[in-house]
Amino acid sequence: MENDSKQLPKFAVLQLSGCAGCEVSLLNANEWYDKYQLVYMPLVVSTHRIPEDTEVLLISGGVRNDEDVYNVQRAVKNVKRVIAVGTCAISGGVTNLGDRDEVRELFRTQAKRYHLPQLLNKTHPVDSFVDVDLYLPGCPPTPELFMAALMDPQGFKASANVCGECGRRKLNDMKPDHITGFEKGSPDPEICLVNQGFLCVGTSTRGGCRAPCTRAGHPCVGCRGPSNAFIERESTVWFENIQRVFERMTNIPPEELNQALRSPQLSMFLFQFSDYAGGDRRIRSKDKVL
Amino acid sequence: MTTLTFPLSRIEGHARVVMEVENGKLLTAQFQAVELRGFRNFVVGTPAEQMPVIVPRICGVCSTAHHVASVKALENVFGVTPPPLANTIREVLLLGQLIQNQATSLFIFTMPDRVDAESLFHMDESEASREAQFSIAQKALRVRKVGTDLITLAGGQFIHPIKAHIGGVSGGIPREAAEQMLKELDEMLPVACELFNTYWDMSMVMGERIGSWGDDEPTYYISSTTSVKPKLNSGHLRILSPDGEEKEHFTPEEFEQRIQFEQTDYSYAGKTSYQGQILRANSLARINITSSFATPIADGYLQRFRNNFGSPAHAIMLFDLCRGIELVYAMERTIELLSEDLSSGDTVVGYQVKDGIGYGLVEAPRGPLIHRYVVENGVISDAQFIIPTVHNMRAIERALMVAGNRYIHPEGINLELEKAVGRVVRAFDPCIACATQ
Repeated sequence: MENDSKQLPKFAVLQLSGCAGCEVSLLNANEWYDKYQLVYMPLVVSTHRIPEDTEVLLISGGVRNDEDVYNVQRAVKNVKRVIAVGTCAISGGVTNLGDRDEVRELFRTQAKRYHLPQLLNKTHPVDSFVDVDLYLPGCPPTPELFMAALMDPQGFKASANVCGECGRRKLNDMKPDHITGFEKGSPDPEICLVNQGFLCVGTSTRGGCRAPCTRAGHPCVGCRGPSNAFIERESTVWFENIQRVFERMTNIPPEELNQALRSPQLSMFLFQFSDYAGGDRRIRSKDKVL
Repeated sequence: MTTLTFPLSRIEGHARVVMEVENGKLLTAQFQAVELRGFRNFVVGTPAEQMPVIVPRICGVCSTAHHVASVKALENVFGVTPPPLANTIREVLLLGQLIQNQATSLFIFTMPDRVDAESLFHMDESEASREAQFSIAQKALRVRKVGTDLITLAGGQFIHPIKAHIGGVSGGIPREAAEQMLKELDEMLPVACELFNTYWDMSMVMGERIGSWGDDEPTYYISSTTSVKPKLNSGHLRILSPDGEEKEHFTPEEFEQRIQFEQTDYSYAGKTSYQGQILRANSLARINITSSFATPIADGYLQRFRNNFGSPAHAIMLFDLCRGIELVYAMERTIELLSEDLSSGDTVVGYQVKDGIGYGLVEAPRGPLIHRYVVENGVISDAQFIIPTVHNMRAIERALMVAGNRYIHPEGINLELEKAVGRVVRAFDPCIACATQ
């Protein structure tokens, strides 16, 4: 803001149905505010429209109701570059857990409100309705990733997968017999979580987050989606790879592993449920995903 | 009849205010939450142990409170008591949440109202000198970052934290990291006070300009803090009557018998009441219920607050000032906690998955948050999220009526109304993602 802020490129943030976590993360990436002029972001700014010459539009949240459809279609008309941020906008996110027939039925009958935006049958990703120039997955993306998307997507350096950023040691001679949770306490801080029996999917999840979860002792739940090795392929290829990793590194019986991986509620599925498990996912070019 | 619809900004989530006016008289004021994702329904069938990862996603602003409430609810089902060190680290987490939230509400959501600006980033276009305002934005974001840094330290990441486990937390806070955090706190505490002083002065000016601090009718208050000093991780809820006497206290299990809940057709969020009366939660409720903060600077502000506005205080704009006092308290209290050794000792105990019903209560920045889970065969068969914002719904609507009556007259509608609607709603700092889930 040393410069005249009126001359800076205009930047807008549209929030659809989501948790505002992406916006909260963006607020921590505060280096943008002397590079861009924030013109629209209802969480922070009291303006109700996106100006015509807006340079960049970030869209967070999934398309859950008819108002979201209207807002997203109207918003992109005035902007040069659209970035879909967060797992909800890209894959429907955690609310995709509602994309099961028995839940949907219950949910829609309970939720009927006549004077309010009407719910759609499922949560849709943003690119079901509008063209997206760049995808920034993560639940939420870290401030570093936001800055990279806004300032220099091509120059961003990251490991291919979360494993490359985790720093835990993989051991050949430590093979768990079953999948474990935290019932015996916290995991060993140095050793790979797969060696310790946790259902960690960092081996095939795209890097760039710097592995805050696994470093803090929590298995990777795959919120950034598949790494470039799998992103342009069928979702089954991604799952088979996870399975192979566990076959190689553990003695967990295949049925137990299969059940855990395919169970819709297991947290790794949270984020890409309908998108990657349903088999009708749009293939997105890896060049468009940060 | 005329219907006035006010879109809302600078609050968490999607909501609007709808007023019906006839012959210059305000008939109704509705606060409508217009989003819904359905957490209560779609977590059914989830393995119970996955809940602490799923439910923070109810809200990116309040994720820490949901994370801890979820872990506490499951500990209640499984019959597990975490070690004392784990409780201390969870308190650090909740204090980080309080700092982040109160700084956001004070500086990002409500400070622009005081100088008639669109946002914290647009305050340089308002009357005050550009340089001074820019420095406010810089400082405000740095104070807010103390909260997020603290959640990262104790929770692994500042949105959707992962370090609280059933049975405790996944590790202590290393001495070196604590020292670094203390340095940041020592540096930012005076900055927070300076900003809050500015905010207080701006609020006094605004109060004088408007000629009112908003709806000030005595009301019931609800919180899970204690009557002697703040507690964010307690096991009881308290009701304060309008005259300032404690009406009763009860456990989360008894909640349903004490508090009435209703749904409406015009909002995806419900609303609660106490014996048919309006309730209020959030900062003003805590300050009316608690006699002191037990930290020196916050207690100084509390004295000043009570000298100016009395106790219990009821005007809604005082919620905002109370958030500032709590911001200072949370920084002081964190300094106390991090000065102890939190690096060594047991942080977690083992557990076994069991079936049953469990409650998890925490005092979130917006008030008492309860998660209630029923676990059958290791999976969730029913979940309820009792959200602080829902306790404020009727209070928000009454305050909107008070503001509406001030600006809607047979001769016409004063244009100040739109600003007043924003100020009223923001005073309660509602969270719509939470209230609707």
